[in-house]
Amino acid sequence: MSDEKIRQLMMKIVDGVASPEEEKAMAEAIKENEKWRSELQAFIKIKEVTEKMQFKDLPDSYWTGYWSDIYRRTERTFAWILMSIGSIVILGFFAYMALSRFYSDPDISLLLKVGVSMALLGVIIMVISILRERLFARKRERYEKEVER
Amino acid sequence: MDDAQLMVSIQQGNPMAFKTLVERYKKKAYYTALRLVGDPDDAYDISQEAFIRVYNARRRYDGAKPFYAWFYTILSNLSRNHLRKRSVRLNHAVRTMRLRRQNPEYYNSPEYFLELDETKKAVWTAIGKLSFEHREVIMLRHFEDLSYEEIAILLGIAVGSVMSRLYYARKKLRDLLGEEYER
Repeated sequence: MSDEKIRQLMMKIVDGVASPEEEKAMAEAIKENEKWRSELQAFIKIKEVTEKMQFKDLPDSYWTGYWSDIYRRTERTFAWILMSIGSIVILGFFAYMALSRFYSDPDISLLLKVGVSMALLGVIIMVISILRERLFARKRERYEKEVER
Repeated sequence: MDDAQLMVSIQQGNPMAFKTLVERYKKKAYYTALRLVGDPDDAYDISQEAFIRVYNARRRYDGAKPFYAWFYTILSNLSRNHLRKRSVRLNHAVRTMRLRRQNPEYYNSPEYFLELDETKKAVWTAIGKLSFEHREVIMLRHFEDLSYEEIAILLGIAVGSVMSRLYYARKKLRDLLGEEYER
């Protein structure tokens, strides 16, 4: 019997879902192997302990505010989204107004206008780059699967 | 009304259906999160956040699949991310210290939420040291008493992989528990 098969049978025995034939096959397979026998005993012992570990029942008062907390959190998330969009629109409007005046002012030198344009372009590229990196990292993390046996 | 019908109702904009769903799964969600992150306050926050994500993503729910499997994926990912975030852990450490100072008996976890003797405490501590994937499979099998098939659906892996992961999780647990479990 392969090691993988022994491992699977061992799990079934620990969890009490092995058939009599499987139990017999397992007993035969590990008869001469102290390592497997010792593992099986340890796993059964751990299972016995965890079966007795019960979570305490929480008092009913613990649950009374549960729904209202969720409602409140949902409401606040919505409020935050509205506030954020509103702030972006307002800031964008004032930025547009200020830049329009700046670029249409004939008293400001062309060199300064070019300098401000380059600095603004730099800021925009930087923001896009950070956003892209964050979004990419989030996507990768969400689908990342750690290989655990 | 079953879960899929409730989700359809939520998709149609019925907030009471969402409330019914929350009431139906709140305890299960809380205890699952508690087993995964090991802290009552964080479990409370994470379970609520999972419901909020369900609501926000309601239009993406595929009625052909069991609701709880979808919900569990959200809850599990939130728990995993929570444990990964160092800053959150730091905040939690500060908050827990504050709460323990205020009410030391109440917050002497894990006795706060588990009936424990020395043996059980050792096992609980060892479970806390497992990797997230190992702890998760132990929790689902040992504490939620799910079958291999049910675990496979929740984790989105094959039944054979569940058994294999369970074997390595138990092996690691035995190693962590030391001599008493090695005879």
